[in-house]
Amino acid sequence: MLIIKNIHASVDGKEILKGINLSIKPGELHAIMGRNGSGKSTLANIITGRDNFLVTKGSITYNGNNLLEMSIEDRALAGIFMSFQYPVSIPGVNNAYFLRAALNAKLKHQGKSEINASDFMRLIREKVKLVNLDESYLSRAVNDGFSGGEKKRNEILQMLTLEPELSILDETDSGLDIDALKTIAEGVNNFRTETRSFLAITHYQRLLEYMHPDYIHVLIDGKIVKSGDISLANQLEEKGYSWLEK
Amino acid sequence: MAREIKQFQKQFDNLLAYWPNEDPELRKLRSKAFDQFKSLGLPTKQWEEWQFTDFSSLKKINFRLSQSKDLPQIPENISGRIPNSYLIYIVNGHYQKDLSEIPESISISTGIDHFQSNKELYIDNNNLNPFSALNTSMMNSGICIALDSNTVIDKPIQVIYSTIDILNPLMNHPRFIFQLGKNSEATIIEHYKGSTELAYFINPVSNVILEDNAKLCHFRIEEDDALANHIASTNYILNSDSQLNSVSTSSGSKLFRHNINLAFNNKGGYATINGLSTIKNDQHHDQHIIIDHFHNACQSEQLFKYILSDRSSGVFNGKVVVKENTQHTDADQANKNLLLSSDAIMNTNPQLEIYSEDVKCSHGSTTGQIDSEALFYLQSRGISKSKSIELIINGFAKDIVEQINNEDVKNYINTKVTNWIEEVLIDA
Repeated sequence: MLIIKNIHASVDGKEILKGINLSIKPGELHAIMGRNGSGKSTLANIITGRDNFLVTKGSITYNGNNLLEMSIEDRALAGIFMSFQYPVSIPGVNNAYFLRAALNAKLKHQGKSEINASDFMRLIREKVKLVNLDESYLSRAVNDGFSGGEKKRNEILQMLTLEPELSILDETDSGLDIDALKTIAEGVNNFRTETRSFLAITHYQRLLEYMHPDYIHVLIDGKIVKSGDISLANQLEEKGYSWLEK
Repeated sequence: MAREIKQFQKQFDNLLAYWPNEDPELRKLRSKAFDQFKSLGLPTKQWEEWQFTDFSSLKKINFRLSQSKDLPQIPENISGRIPNSYLIYIVNGHYQKDLSEIPESISISTGIDHFQSNKELYIDNNNLNPFSALNTSMMNSGICIALDSNTVIDKPIQVIYSTIDILNPLMNHPRFIFQLGKNSEATIIEHYKGSTELAYFINPVSNVILEDNAKLCHFRIEEDDALANHIASTNYILNSDSQLNSVSTSSGSKLFRHNINLAFNNKGGYATINGLSTIKNDQHHDQHIIIDHFHNACQSEQLFKYILSDRSSGVFNGKVVVKENTQHTDADQANKNLLLSSDAIMNTNPQLEIYSEDVKCSHGSTTGQIDSEALFYLQSRGISKSKSIELIINGFAKDIVEQINNEDVKNYINTKVTNWIEEVLIDA
């Protein structure tokens, strides 16, 4: 599904990613762990298409297409979704209206008919329950005045509504209390199927305890230095990252 | 005498000759005001309150006062008509009584009739605004809407001041008076709309008086032709415990200047004054707002937003004055601007002048571009770039539009803003 080959990327002339190789197949959940500044979020942003990074070398293909040549919205329409580490608030843009516009863009792309407002409200009222978010948040402006936890729930709500093939969870666990973390992990677990894939980026193994990743990768200084199963996360919890550094 | 003053003098003389049987007192008022205008002249860059606006377009063209021959064929469909409202319809300065729909409970009079019974409302003491003096000297159109005490009008009154199909560069100096008696309530839409092949000059003055405990929603919509020069003053006087909800939008005219003056004339008044300007090409929109808190326990809230595209330029100058020894004053003032082009310019100057201790005041201004993070966020959900920009701009305008508490007017403005955004994005 997603094949990343030898990606090098820089921002403002500074090389952040120094040759990343990663392949994600349908149904897999990969976790990337690493310290602040190791390049985790840069990788997520390059896949999503944020343009303030310069890819200097390497390739990313998604279902056989050259992802790096696709626009931000085309990547989303092709099935890629990122749950933002810091979701931005957009004053004056109604949350439900925005989410319906996003869903309709997707339906249109798939050649399906658009969903009307009342059918959408019926659908979304079911989804908000899954992330334990009050319905009143639908009629507010996107993320405007939401707490950190509410923003993350709103991200997962969007994921459940848009039903992407590949979901990137960029530090979705940061700033969450244990109850919110469980709700979100449960939301993700119930959403998992044989065709949906995930790339979870995190500092801590806490989230991974609930999510059962298939693979763990450790990112240090722009490179994946070690890959393994869940036992690797437990080792990191015990020993930290320093034993993996040269 | 400067050439343009000579030109205005000629028009002034024509006006006096056109209405030879006017009330002598009105004549005197006109002449005094015209002398005032002559002594002031047109504003220059050296005038502090006018420094960001260039009035040379008024010097280049000889505008002539509209006459009865300038009444064109009246179109069958009245452009800009807002449903579920009464109508006062004025075309090229000429009141269309037969096409107007007026509620029975109000009295309507044209300026000159109204003058005879309300002379005190027309006295223009030491006015340093030359356009206001010019209006007093040549007021030739407009209407007075007066509500008795305890009168509630069931529907909004839409005043359409339309300029269409002109054959010469015309000018008009409308004078509006909106007077609400004690405990009365009304919604008035003051709507300027133009579609012309030639430049014109429209110079309205609106005097709005709210008696004790009156409530007015005043929606001012400026949609003059892109060739127009629209220079206006709106003067609000709020008596005890009266309430004003004022929303003004401006999108037309090459040159637009609006002075809004609000005076709390007694205690307990409440005013929200909001504005939205959407401008493009080389439009220049300049708004000056002065709010005088001269009495106790008055509250004012101001929010003015500008969305500027292309090479357009905007000016916001807002001043709140709190007089000494007044108590419990609450005043907020904010100006927020969205630049859609690197060639657009905004000059903003929010000011507070506070001479009292017992106040709660805030003011501020921000100017920025489309938030690239918000744009990335929306696009990352599959929404196209242009649709994402449209959502962000619409979101920016929303808190002004939401101040309009009448659904028909709100729908009209919403559609207008959305169409404007679409046009700007297509041109981009």
